[in-house]
Amino acid sequence: MKWTVYDVEMYEKEKQYIDTVVIPLMPLTLSSGAKAAVSGGEFVQLLTNEIERQLKGRLFLLPPFTYFVTEPISECTKRLNDWTNELKESGMDHVFYVTSDRQWKEIEQQLSGTLFSFPAVPFEHMDEAYKRQIVQEQTTKLLNAFISQWT
Amino acid sequence: MSENKHRVSRRQFLNYTLTGVGGFMAAGILMPMVRFALDPILKEEAGTEMVPVAQVKDLTTEPQRFDFKVKVKDAWYESEEPKSAWVYKDEKGEVIALSPICTHLGCTVNWNGDKAHPNQFFCPCHFGRYTKDGTNIPGTPPPAPLHRYEYKVKDGKLYLGKAKPRGEV
Ligand code: FES
Repeated sequence: MKWTVYDVEMYEKEKQYIDTVVIPLMPLTLSSGAKAAVSGGEFVQLLTNEIERQLKGRLFLLPPFTYFVTEPISECTKRLNDWTNELKESGMDHVFYVTSDRQWKEIEQQLSGTLFSFPAVPFEHMDEAYKRQIVQEQTTKLLNAFISQWT
Repeated sequence: MSENKHRVSRRQFLNYTLTGVGGFMAAGILMPMVRFALDPILKEEAGTEMVPVAQVKDLTTEPQRFDFKVKVKDAWYESEEPKSAWVYKDEKGEVIALSPICTHLGCTVNWNGDKAHPNQFFCPCHFGRYTKDGTNIPGTPPPAPLHRYEYKVKDGKLYLGKAKPRGEV
């Protein structure tokens, strides 16, 4: 499910079946490094959209959790954990984060949800077909990782 | 007399212009309404277009997954929507093309996705299961069989149209 009125209506009806939230973690910046941040973010967005398409009956894809790269990681962590606790209180059993920002890996233990991190792929130098293939591969990987968390 | 004439022609002038402007206004209001009324019909037609998906000679008795794209128009823009189908030939050689969308809450099902239940379609979301012909297995969440695509075969190619609930194809 996505963050749309139509999907939220379905969520309200079928709550007992929807126990998972997916949050893309997305760094922002407009100074140097902007391109890398954007391309990482774009990749994560492609991945999570595809996952949502395939598993929409059980998971809710939230709008991204965004933060400026200058925001200290401790602050981000606190904010993200607040989101997570809020979601768990409203009945979600699993909160999955998807990111290509390496920072999160280092503080993984402090997070209340489950982290799935991907190396950023330099998409700009790739042709469409290759790009699609990579997204496909990574999607399958992520899909299986999600499913194994469920069982 | 000349004044009278003048007055009449002014009235006529106003008459003409007002009807003219009014007509434009009416058209301005009505046109979108007509478009709204017709739009769903136009959309319906776009959706029934058949797209080539596979070579018939590649089909086996084992369901295989084929991915394809269809053009969709929503309220704002036109885009391509990725779709898939599980396709196989039954004992009679008849083509069966099933939609992978679980009839429970819309996840994507897989053939042989659950090792404990071979030769079935499996939905990883709430463990829904279907037999090979798409019939939902009682006791699992899906309320209805998998939808089937309308299809046609032309020049050795398989074309798929819309997926419809069983019984309507
Ligand atoms: S969406 Fe397939 S079993 Fe619930």
